[in-house]
Amino acid sequence: MAKEYLIGKIDDIPEGKGRAFKAGRLTVAVFRANGKVFAMNNRCVHKGASMCEGEISDGGKVVRCPWHNWAFDLATGEHCYDSNEKIRTYEIKMDGDQVILCT
Amino acid sequence: MNEASHTGFEREKAEAVNPDPVNPKIRTMEVIDTDFHFTPSWKTLRSYLKEPFQSLLFHYPVGSLEYNPEPANEKPGVGQDTHGVAATGADVLKIMEQFGTGIVILNPGYNRPQSIFNEPMIAAIAAAHNDYLINEVFPVSDRIKASLMICHRDPQMGADEIRRVGHHKQFVTVYTSFSSLYEPIGNAKYDPILDAMQEFDLTLTCHSEGFFPHFTPLWTGARTWIELFGNAPVGNCMAHLAAMIVQGMFDKYPKQKVIFQEGGYWWLPDFMLRMDDFYMGSGGDIALVERKLATGEKKLHKMPSEYVLENVRFSTQPITIPKNRQHFAWLLEMCHAKDLFCFSSDWPHQTLDPANWVVENTDCIDEDMQKAILSGNSRKLYNRL
Repeated sequence: MAKEYLIGKIDDIPEGKGRAFKAGRLTVAVFRANGKVFAMNNRCVHKGASMCEGEISDGGKVVRCPWHNWAFDLATGEHCYDSNEKIRTYEIKMDGDQVILCT
Repeated sequence: MNEASHTGFEREKAEAVNPDPVNPKIRTMEVIDTDFHFTPSWKTLRSYLKEPFQSLLFHYPVGSLEYNPEPANEKPGVGQDTHGVAATGADVLKIMEQFGTGIVILNPGYNRPQSIFNEPMIAAIAAAHNDYLINEVFPVSDRIKASLMICHRDPQMGADEIRRVGHHKQFVTVYTSFSSLYEPIGNAKYDPILDAMQEFDLTLTCHSEGFFPHFTPLWTGARTWIELFGNAPVGNCMAHLAAMIVQGMFDKYPKQKVIFQEGGYWWLPDFMLRMDDFYMGSGGDIALVERKLATGEKKLHKMPSEYVLENVRFSTQPITIPKNRQHFAWLLEMCHAKDLFCFSSDWPHQTLDPANWVVENTDCIDEDMQKAILSGNSRKLYNRL
């Protein structure tokens, strides 16, 4: 069943960085890039690295896995070279300055 | 805890967490990391150099260049060390704690000297590296073990260094490479090194290295890191292993154990079958290799594949896991992973493998195999652990 979780204020997510949040049974990486907020499963599909530690690059469009540099589109979760490799993404809504995660 | 939004709708509050990069199970098991790259600063190494090298080597000597993978990894300023640099014992312990490592075996980092085409210089730097380990790194923790660095281009210089410092108990292996030598270490000209190793019961580490065409023809014409590092080392590794076997290294040194690092291993089934097949039909010129000329023998003591199973092991990094689970299980079985695989991380390089994969593929890697890969096989391999 779809649920909504309050992540916090948008300023709790540093621009250009990611943080991990426990939302129910999920651990989700939440990123802020160019003022927008994105969310995906925290676990890299390659070998399980913690994506919240990843580096945002390519002008804020991509997050790179901290272990092996796999590059995933922040909006779609798809690997930049192979769209079949995909980290599940989640919708983010804003409620004023509050970031809402929709699972 | 639920929070009310300004519209009155209640939502559950997500909790900010700091995920452990390591699977919790790893922290309950013994983990021996057989390939961790240690890079002392040049200032430190220089302080241990003997004269006249100390006075004249102002910077790390660049006798030859390696390909810089920054364009491939799209990370400027770090070269191959994408995850950082460990230059002291304290640095090493910090990373060990981060990844749940119980015992680490230090290999030289980017500053490894074997790529230099100057034997006295290699020997001097190797000695400085070893002396730094002995004086300042080993005392930090008994959990820190290391490869003994040598000049492997000059076998007598290599043997001299082994005899100089090999008695230090935290050296568990001697470091050589496949590729930055033109001739494989299995060639009889390197027997002085093997002779010295027998005196100290040291394992031979044969590590991938030297990423540029002047080291090996396999890299001629290469343009990319994928070719230089992702692929060609595999060919070099096979060539070096073949030489050890058919040039009689294991017949002369039957107790010598070897670990190959970063040369892959999924090629093992074909290698063993092919070597045995060729030996059966075309083994006549084995009688003409130096070691067999010396003994008058005309054949090997065993089938080639038997040497692989009895004398050789393989570091696991980088593990490449097929999506087809049956294929993964078959590969592990056909490569005798339960006996031959020794966990390695390759910290701090781009292809770093924390140990998570060992315990997170339980459909293919059972509890016994997990323990064997994480530490059991290494304990059998390194007699001095």
